[in-house]
Amino acid sequence: MTGNNNNQEISERTKRVLSIQSHVVHGYVGNKAATFPLQYQGWEVDALNTVQFSNHPGYQFFTGYSSSPNELVDIISKGLIDESELSYDAILTGYISDVEGLRKIGDLISQLCKDSKKIKWLLDPVLGDNGKLYVSEENIKIYQEILRTASIYVVTPNQFEMEVLTNVKITDLPSLRVAFEVFREHYPTIQNVVVTSVELPEHPDVLTSACSTFNNADKNKLYIDIFEVPIIPAKFSGSGDLFSAILLNNLFSYKPVPKNEGELLKSALHRTLIQEDAILKRTYELTLKEFNHTQTIDNLSIVKDLKLIQSKDLLVDESLYSNVSFKCSSI
Amino acid sequence: MKRVLATQSHVVYGYVGNKAATFPLQCLGWDVDCCNSVQFSNHTGYGIDKVFGNVTSEKALDDLLRGVFINFPNSYSAFLTGYLPNKGTVRTMGKYYKKFKIENPNSLWVMDPVMGDEGQLYVNEDVIPEYKELIFNPDKLVDVITPNQYELEILYDKKINTFEELKTAFQSLHATIPIIVVTSCYSTLFNDPNHIYTVASIKGQEPVILRVPLIESYFTGVGDLFSALLLDRLYEYKKDIIKGIRDDPRNLFEEKMNEVLNVIQNVLLITKKYAPNSLKSVIGDATKMKDMELKIIQSKNVYDIQMKDRDARKDLHIHNFIFNAL
Repeated sequence: MTGNNNNQEISERTKRVLSIQSHVVHGYVGNKAATFPLQYQGWEVDALNTVQFSNHPGYQFFTGYSSSPNELVDIISKGLIDESELSYDAILTGYISDVEGLRKIGDLISQLCKDSKKIKWLLDPVLGDNGKLYVSEENIKIYQEILRTASIYVVTPNQFEMEVLTNVKITDLPSLRVAFEVFREHYPTIQNVVVTSVELPEHPDVLTSACSTFNNADKNKLYIDIFEVPIIPAKFSGSGDLFSAILLNNLFSYKPVPKNEGELLKSALHRTLIQEDAILKRTYELTLKEFNHTQTIDNLSIVKDLKLIQSKDLLVDESLYSNVSFKCSSI
Repeated sequence: MKRVLATQSHVVYGYVGNKAATFPLQCLGWDVDCCNSVQFSNHTGYGIDKVFGNVTSEKALDDLLRGVFINFPNSYSAFLTGYLPNKGTVRTMGKYYKKFKIENPNSLWVMDPVMGDEGQLYVNEDVIPEYKELIFNPDKLVDVITPNQYELEILYDKKINTFEELKTAFQSLHATIPIIVVTSCYSTLFNDPNHIYTVASIKGQEPVILRVPLIESYFTGVGDLFSALLLDRLYEYKKDIIKGIRDDPRNLFEEKMNEVLNVIQNVLLITKKYAPNSLKSVIGDATKMKDMELKIIQSKNVYDIQMKDRDARKDLHIHNFIFNAL
């Protein structure tokens, strides 16, 4: 960042993230789910949209288009880096369905992170959910290649994506641990992994989230922290995109600053799960109210639009959930 | 819930168009559905050779708005439009916004007819008839327009040299447009180079003149922030009058206009506070332009300024900008 800031009233430079995800006109997925929460938490968000759709495909009908890979690469490398000489604290990447686009953007961001060690890359390997792939097989290979070679601060697969990337079926805690072990073995340059929302048959009432820091001093030991979050009886479109955004903020701003990377990851994940849970609960309640007028509750198994604007207090006011904590253990 | 459909430009870096409008409106409780008419790396003030990205083609915009209209025909309480790159996209926006407005007669449509400034067009000339078609449409679908003086003169087809002429222009345009807000008049109109004059006119009333001290610097995105804030305050204005919460429309209108300009003034002061000392941005100098981007995020707490808080909020600069000297 150029420009000396002589003004003493301004003690802290505003953190800046480049967020590369999808855009929808209506609703909250991709960049629409990530931008407002990060901005409201004080981030400058440079949102680069990989697609522009009328709404997310969870609605039966949608229209829109994808930006060409060359255009996206030009915006980043020529417009943002060369001409404006921007420097980023973080880069957030999410849904990039185009195979060529994913490869090109992957290469470019890998290089940027190599050139500037201070950029922290949060990569959400968007491949699918609940056993279903929503990108092509080719995307899996490209993600595997990126994960094998790039220096990435944190990767946030869901259960299905973790299974695809490791070839390990997760059915219980031991197999979850195996998945982490295989992940570390295959992708040794990754610093942190968070697996979001794992459903284990033995714990039907909770969603399990697990995290591990790989760049510990002790290479022989793999510590995995596990959180159990009571289940809300619905799926929420955009919840994963919201999750990665608020996790990013918590990784940068968790106070008091934890004593090591492992503690930071664990604390940031816990705070993220609490905030996400509070936002999803509010979304559920508000949606339920709307539905009561028109439809039955049975139809509410999928909530299409997060109520992010109505949840803005939850993004910044920790006193609203200071008494909440989730069960934590280690394996 | 308040939900607005906003069709204007998107920049990855910086704050113009939808990037300038969205966050303030979200802080004010609006769900903002942004339809992006372009995606550029940064705004064109950096120099046209330093901007990368693409405009949304007429066909792509048509497709996008068609999808929004089919799925959400009755979801919106307001509509906002700003910069559109060419004739085809203005026409397409008009086509769908008309449909929306007919479906939702009580909604508020705020249109910034972005064509140019200070005697210079920054769109092709063939864009002008498209805006005229929407503004002079006998169906009277647009509620508010926010031209600068140059754009008003284009719409009115005549130069405006005096305040009396300005009032005549308003009368003429009020045939189809209920509210006209001229965001910045030429300094010659009031013989005062030290202030910026905004004139707001509701059909059937004397125009309200507001005067704010000129801040010497080049900021972009102020007009886009202005139309977004105006949309919020005029929506509240309409609601208060219709619901009978207030029965003094004249005072309330002045109050709302005052709020819009006070928010802008505070955002500019915060922006200046963050900028390197005495920096005046130079158009085309990318590294300097960069430091003069509006501090939209850092201004989070000023968007909800209300005139009645004038004494309570010492952290802000809240003034009465109404100018009664004529």
